[in-house]
Amino acid sequence: MYAIETKSLTKSFGDLVAVNDVSFSVEKGEIFGFLGPNGAGKSTTMMIFTTLLKPTSGKALIAGFDVMKDAKHVRENIGFVQQETTVDEYLTGRENLLLQAKLNHIPKNEINQRIDEVLELIELSDKQHQAVVTYSGGMRKRLDIAGGLLHHPKVLFLDEPTVGLDIQTRRKIWQYIKKIHIEFDMTIFLTTHYMEEADNLCDRIGIIDGGKIQVIDSPQNMKNALGNEIISLVVNNNNNHDLFLAELKKIEFIKKINEEDLKLILFTSNGTEVIPKIFQISSDLGIKITTISLTQPTLDDVFISYTGHEIRDDKSKFNRKIEHAKMKRLRA
Amino acid sequence: MNSIMYDTYTIFWRELKRYKKSRSGVLIRLIQPAIWIIVVGNIFSETQPLIQSVGFEGEYIEFMAPGVIILTAIFTSIFGGVNTLWDRRYGFMNKALTSPISRSAIALGKMSAISLIAALQASLIIGIALAIGVTFPNPLMIIPIMGIVILFSLGFSGISVTLAATAKSQETFWGMINLLGMPLFMLSPALFPLELLPNWLAVIAKLNPVTYTVLLVRELMTGVSEGGIPILISIAVIFAFVLTMVAITSYVFTREVNKPF
Repeated sequence: MYAIETKSLTKSFGDLVAVNDVSFSVEKGEIFGFLGPNGAGKSTTMMIFTTLLKPTSGKALIAGFDVMKDAKHVRENIGFVQQETTVDEYLTGRENLLLQAKLNHIPKNEINQRIDEVLELIELSDKQHQAVVTYSGGMRKRLDIAGGLLHHPKVLFLDEPTVGLDIQTRRKIWQYIKKIHIEFDMTIFLTTHYMEEADNLCDRIGIIDGGKIQVIDSPQNMKNALGNEIISLVVNNNNNHDLFLAELKKIEFIKKINEEDLKLILFTSNGTEVIPKIFQISSDLGIKITTISLTQPTLDDVFISYTGHEIRDDKSKFNRKIEHAKMKRLRA
Repeated sequence: MNSIMYDTYTIFWRELKRYKKSRSGVLIRLIQPAIWIIVVGNIFSETQPLIQSVGFEGEYIEFMAPGVIILTAIFTSIFGGVNTLWDRRYGFMNKALTSPISRSAIALGKMSAISLIAALQASLIIGIALAIGVTFPNPLMIIPIMGIVILFSLGFSGISVTLAATAKSQETFWGMINLLGMPLFMLSPALFPLELLPNWLAVIAKLNPVTYTVLLVRELMTGVSEGGIPILISIAVIFAFVLTMVAITSYVFTREVNKPF
């Protein structure tokens, strides 16, 4: 049995398809990351998994329970930490956890011990009796995460766990997530639009864009699939561009070519041998190379290679539609 | 069933914790009813002959004090549901919805907390009334009066929670509340005797649960029965109102929160 399993999961709002025929599964004990830009369908998928939205068609099983037919059992087996911090500011840290414990039906005689346990894990024991309004952003997030795992859920959902936090706090949160994963042996499903986060935390990553999963693999395999080096070059304006591209594609080490106008990104292995060949071809065709560089691929490059655009590129037509649909629902 | 009680209590506990931490609000919310009882009570003191004409022997202020107690209950409870909107906006609602507690328990927990808060506010107004010279022939009556205020507020908070669950914005919510609150108060014998209303208004007033609550509280407070409505009928109407509101609120709330916000 998988921790998460979906079959042709689809969710549409009117004629807008937010999640489009998504099928994948997550193994027990895995940290699985959904990576994609805003509006890619990450949050919608997570809302379906956490029983907040009903799918239009298809199926999703969480810890073996169907989100449509058996929502109550799903809710008993999940922890959900939302993107925005949801702790009650005027309650103390401990009171917040007490509320969470009661919401999740933790037996009365275990509540105190569980709270002590997670407070220690997230290192907030000394601040537990202060009102949350005095906490920093990172502390609130930690408290929120603690609330999500208080009842030892089988699957913990983290929606953009470090969005809006500074880089040190972000790293700290990553440490806690890893600690939780080891200590409780939970399956963790997270969404993120930070490459570094996905690279750092996840056993496997699903890249989602336009409501569709483009690829699922481990971060390492993804980077390897692109070859181990990237050559970026810019050429001058010329008439032989198409011919130049065709010639480049013939070089055996080049695995993939992305082009943005006159800038070419070549995913390759053996870059040091490839560069002289590129110069050879360009001089044969009378093309001038203005700049050229050789780098190691990052997950950013993987993302671009699968989606054709950068992750921070929020201005696609698809996003505008999503925002429009959201506004329409708000106005009703 | 057991778990719905436990869940209701969890939400109730949370709402009261939040209320306790916002102490300044307690006093601010008392200002309006205090103005009503002190200012309006004195402005209209010359209307005593009107009240006497329907068999009420005391001062006008004693006549309208029960009306202001109910006014406090109406406005505290009808505003009380607004944090449902905040909860949906700031994620607490989603947190509760993804936990195993039932949707009805969220609504019921909110309603019972609001009704207790309304009763607390009303008891402070009773204190003010006593301080400015309103007397109780039988001080023990304060116990059943508080019971009625709690029940009535439970029903009224249902209106508020239902509207808040249905409204998608603060503006819609406040618009609806203003549309409902004042007319329900005015179309009751809170300020003037039922007998003095023109017929068509009296008919409308008799469809208003506020009317029965005011009459009942007035009778318990002053001993004067008014409007020819027996106590048992008033109690029955209040119970029916509360049960209806509990049912409507559970149903509408469950339906609305299952839609995306």
